[in-house]
Amino acid sequence: MLQKIYDWIDERVDITPIWRDIADHEVPEHVNPAHHFSAFVYCFGGLTFFVTVIQILSGMFLTMYYVPDIENAWNSVFYLQQEVAHGQIVRGMHHWGASVVIVMLFLHTLRVFFQGAYKKPRELNWIVGVLLFFVMLALGLTGYLLPWDNKALFATEVTLQIAESVPFIGEDLKILLAGDPHIVGAQTLTRFFAIHVFFLPAALFVLMAVHFIMIRRQGISGPL
Amino acid sequence: MHRGKGMKFVGDSRVRENDDRHIPKDYSEYPGRTEPFWPNFLLKEWLAGAVFLVGFLCLTVAAPAPLEKMADPSTPGYIPLPDWYFLFLYQLLKYPFASGDYVVIGTVVIPGLAFGGLLLAPFLDRGPERRPTRRPVATSLMLIAIVAVFFLTWEASSHVDWETRAEQNKIVEDVEIDKESEGYQVYSDQSCMSCHGENLEGVSGPSLIGTEHSADEIKDIAKNGIGSMPAGQFEGSDEELQKLADFIAGLGEE
Amino acid sequence: MSEDKNKQVSRRQFLNYTLTGVGGFMAAGMLAPMVRFAIDPVLQPEAGGDFVSAEIAEEDITTEPQRVTFKVEQVDAWYESTVEKVAWVYKQEDGSIIALDPTCTHLGCIVGWDSNEDHPDHFYCPCHGGLYTKDGVNVPNTPPTAPLSVYEQKIENGILYLGKSIPREEA
Repeated sequence: MLQKIYDWIDERVDITPIWRDIADHEVPEHVNPAHHFSAFVYCFGGLTFFVTVIQILSGMFLTMYYVPDIENAWNSVFYLQQEVAHGQIVRGMHHWGASVVIVMLFLHTLRVFFQGAYKKPRELNWIVGVLLFFVMLALGLTGYLLPWDNKALFATEVTLQIAESVPFIGEDLKILLAGDPHIVGAQTLTRFFAIHVFFLPAALFVLMAVHFIMIRRQGISGPL
Repeated sequence: MHRGKGMKFVGDSRVRENDDRHIPKDYSEYPGRTEPFWPNFLLKEWLAGAVFLVGFLCLTVAAPAPLEKMADPSTPGYIPLPDWYFLFLYQLLKYPFASGDYVVIGTVVIPGLAFGGLLLAPFLDRGPERRPTRRPVATSLMLIAIVAVFFLTWEASSHVDWETRAEQNKIVEDVEIDKESEGYQVYSDQSCMSCHGENLEGVSGPSLIGTEHSADEIKDIAKNGIGSMPAGQFEGSDEELQKLADFIAGLGEE
Repeated sequence: MSEDKNKQVSRRQFLNYTLTGVGGFMAAGMLAPMVRFAIDPVLQPEAGGDFVSAEIAEEDITTEPQRVTFKVEQVDAWYESTVEKVAWVYKQEDGSIIALDPTCTHLGCIVGWDSNEDHPDHFYCPCHGGLYTKDGVNVPNTPPTAPLSVYEQKIENGILYLGKSIPREEA
C-alpha cells in the first residue's frame, strides 16, 4: 500500500532524487560509532538538531498559554506550570533544552574545530554554523526575559546597558531593543517576544536549511 | 567557462549535463566499511537520541524550571545574574581592564575579537593540515579560549550564594500583615525591618513569610543569628521576643 | 558584431535589470513602513519630567544618607502605572540637600549606602563591587566611570520634591 502511494506520487513529481539526496547515501566507517567508539563525537551535531526540534515544538505549545504582556506574562507562566497538566514538563523541556542546546552546540563546534573540518571546501558551512551558534545565543538571551520574573527583568536591564555601551550606535540600539529610552516594560517584553518567536527562528530555519544542504552537497569530511 | 553550442542541459533546466563538480566524493575512497544512512545508520542515531531523550525528560521532571517572583523594578538589592552561558561575559565585565573607562573592551572588543576570530577561522588557519597537533597556533588559541571561558564561568558562579539567592527570590504567597498586632510592633521596634523589609518580604535578608522555622527556633535566631545574620540583633524583653516569634511563625500558615 | 554586443544592453540583460528594479521596489515598498514602525521608539522625542513629592520634611533630612522612596506616574506605551523610585537623601556640609539616584553608573544595578561590611560609609554596588563616596563620586579603580546621578530637587512648604535624574560628568 505504502509502495503504491509512493509510486503514485513519484510518477507525478519525481521524488526519488530528492529522497536519494536526503536519505539514500552511504555513511563512511570513520563516523560510525559501531566501528570506532570514539566516533560518538559525530553525534553532537545530530543531537543539537534533535534538541532544536524539542525547542521548536515545546515553544510552539507554550504559546498556547503564554501572553507577552507585563501584567499577565508571569501569571500565565505560573499558571501553565502549576495548573496545566504536564505544564511543568513542557516548560522544563524548553528551559533545560535551551541549556542543553548550548552545550551540544559547544561540543559540536569543538569537534569540527579540532578536526579541522572547516577547511576547504567547507569554509562557508563553518561560517553558517558560527552564525547558527550566534542566533542560538540570541534566542537564549531574548527568551530569558519572557517569564517576566525578577531574574528576567534585572538580567535584561544589564543586557540593555551592555548594548548601550557600544560606541556610536549604543543609545539607539538600546532603545530599539527596549522600545523605550528609560523603561524596561511593556514594549520591551513585546519586542523580545517578537524577536524570540518570529525573527530569530526565521533566521534559524534559513541557516539550518543552508547548513544541511551544504553538508549533503559536500559530504562529511574524511578521516584525519 | 564553457559557452556556446554543444551545451547540454538536464531537461529544460539550466543545469548542465555531465556537470560532475558537485558530486560528493565517493566513500569507497575512504578506508573501511560503509553503511547505508537509511535505515541502518539512522537507527543507531535514533537509539542514541532515545537514550538522550530519556535522560532529558528525567531532568525536566526532577528539576522544575525555576520561576522567581514577578518582575518588580523596585526590588531592593537584587543582584542581576544572566543565564549560565553568559556568566563568563558577566564575570569579564568585573575586571578593571574591561570595565570603567574600558567597558567597551569588555562589551565589544573582546567578544567581537573572539566571535570574529571564530567566524573567520577558515581564512585565518588556511594550511592544508587538519590534525590539531599540526596546527599548533589554532589549537592553542582555542584551548586558551576554552580555559578562559571555563575559568570565568567558575569564578562568576563561585561568587554567588546560590542558596540565599533561591531563598530570597522564591515566590511567596501574598499575606495580609496585621500591622496593628503586637508582634508587628516588636518587629518594627527592633532592627528586623532594615533587612527583612517593611512587609517581611525580605530585603537583604530572606523573606520571613511562611518560614520553615518554628517559634522556638525563631527566638534563637533573633538572639544568636543564623548564616550571615549576626547575633545580638534582638534587644528586648523575653515577653517581646515570644510575641515576635509567634507573630512570624504564624504568618503564611493556612 | 562582437563589439556591438559589448556596448549594447542585450534584451536578456535589460530584463534582468528591470527585474532587479521591480524586485527592489517591491521589497522597499513592503519593508519601508515596517522598518519605520519598528524604529519608532528611537525617534520619539524625550519628554520632560515633573516634580513629585518625596514625602519627607526638610527638617527630617540629616547629614546621614536616608533611603527615600517616592512615587512617579509612569507611562509605558499603553500602560500607565505608578512606580516607586528610590533616592538617597542627605544634607551636605554647606546645608544644601542632595538626592542621589542609586542606579549604578556601571551597569544599572542598585547601590546601597553602608550596605557592605568591608566598605563602610560608601555606596556599594553588589553586582560588580562598584564604590561611591558619600557625595556619590565613584571611587577610582572600581567599575563605575561616572558619579551617581542626582535628582533635580526643590523644597516647597518644607517638603522635598524630586524631579528628573540628571547624570553627572566624571569628577
